[in-house]
Amino acid sequence: MDNSICQVYEDEIQSLEEEIKLLTEKYEESQQESTFFSDEEILMSIKSLQREFQGEFKGHEFPSDLKAQLESLEKDLSFLMKFTGIQFTSHSKKTVEKTRNRTVQKHRLSGNCHSLSFQLEFQLLEMQDKESVSAVITDLSIIMESGENSDVSKFVSSTEEYGNLLTFFRSLSSYAEWCEHRRCTFLHFK
Amino acid sequence: GVFAHLEMLEARAHEAAVKQEEMEQQEEKLARLRARVEELRLQRDELRAKVDLQEKGQLGKEGVVSKPAQPSARAVLEWKIKSIKAMLEVFYLTGISGKLTKQGVCFCISTAYEGTYLDSYYLDLLTKPEVQIYRHSVPVFIPLQQIAKKYLQTDIRRFLSVLYDHLNAYVGRRYQAEQLQEHFSDQIEGTVQRNSLCNLLVFNYNVSCKSRTFPFNVRLLYGDLCCSLPTEVVISCTPNAPASLAETAAAHSDLFRRVALHRVFGFFSSAEGSVD
Repeated sequence: MDNSICQVYEDEIQSLEEEIKLLTEKYEESQQESTFFSDEEILMSIKSLQREFQGEFKGHEFPSDLKAQLESLEKDLSFLMKFTGIQFTSHSKKTVEKTRNRTVQKHRLSGNCHSLSFQLEFQLLEMQDKESVSAVITDLSIIMESGENSDVSKFVSSTEEYGNLLTFFRSLSSYAEWCEHRRCTFLHFK
Repeated sequence: GVFAHLEMLEARAHEAAVKQEEMEQQEEKLARLRARVEELRLQRDELRAKVDLQEKGQLGKEGVVSKPAQPSARAVLEWKIKSIKAMLEVFYLTGISGKLTKQGVCFCISTAYEGTYLDSYYLDLLTKPEVQIYRHSVPVFIPLQQIAKKYLQTDIRRFLSVLYDHLNAYVGRRYQAEQLQEHFSDQIEGTVQRNSLCNLLVFNYNVSCKSRTFPFNVRLLYGDLCCSLPTEVVISCTPNAPASLAETAAAHSDLFRRVALHRVFGFFSSAEGSVD
């Protein structure tokens, strides 16, 4: 009889630990999304950390590690935006569902590709099965600046219907490059 | 006599002592577990309260940015790092993402069929003395060297774009064939035969006409490697099949050319000749 009581306690401990993990993630995500620090504040923090550790811990990894990590990530992001022509101006995400095998996040993303600007909302469903993780886009909603153009609106609605986020970006990228190329060609002939 | 009796009493006492110890251990264990449960419950309740406060705060002042009181420099940088990492993850969804390396750049090409993201492929490029492919995970049946020869030196973006078209179309064809096999296995005789590049698919399915069933053999050729719809469809039936089935075959052939493979069977209507 005692064993079953033990089991009850152990089950509750496991469920509490899971609940705590989920709540912690929810709290941290919410904190992250509702916070904003300007570039100035970032620079000030870098300087402040460097000052803090300069005298005391020469060659200590911590602050230079954070600074190096930040710089490396910023370089990667800046390279990608320049290379693909896709600039993201804002991004927010919120986890709306999370279980052991399934996570659903709602994303809001806006940006532009060369001169074409867009605003997107979509849900990203990630599922973990035996060996792999799958990612599926649902509820895709796209707003484009030149939305009155019938070709653009046709393209947008068929993309939305099938959740074709990837096709959207690839087509946007090609179309924007083509526009750029055309613009440069015209300039050349002026 | 006496000794045997003494031994018996000793044994009984020993047993009783062991049982007593077991009971004490059990009680200790229960007490520990109970304490742990209390501790976790407290932690959980505190967290719940914090999260509720967050939600109330956000509901009350929509769009107002909040800052934790006196954030440490470290916390600020960690926030920024998380924020950039999230942005880089989003780039994965756009099809072309990557990371700068000491010798050049490592690109990641992601593929998807409609809203489902499928395989991703890596291309580790060196940029000096000229652009070259150092390592990659592109399958051998994709004409990577051909595409590289044509575009890599002159226009990297074009190179990646063309490579992406090949990879995405291949993955799309494979996905359609897999979905067909998975969802219509009862209507297909045997399995869907395909080559590695998934640009040649062959399978059989039954069509009924006047309460008899006839096997149709379908051969799909995807002549355009950057396309996930077939360029050529050949449907053949057995020689003893009635002439009316020729019309059905033509109608089905047209569907295979226009509709994604795993959706075609959904379009077969009973008027033309039902599929079993």
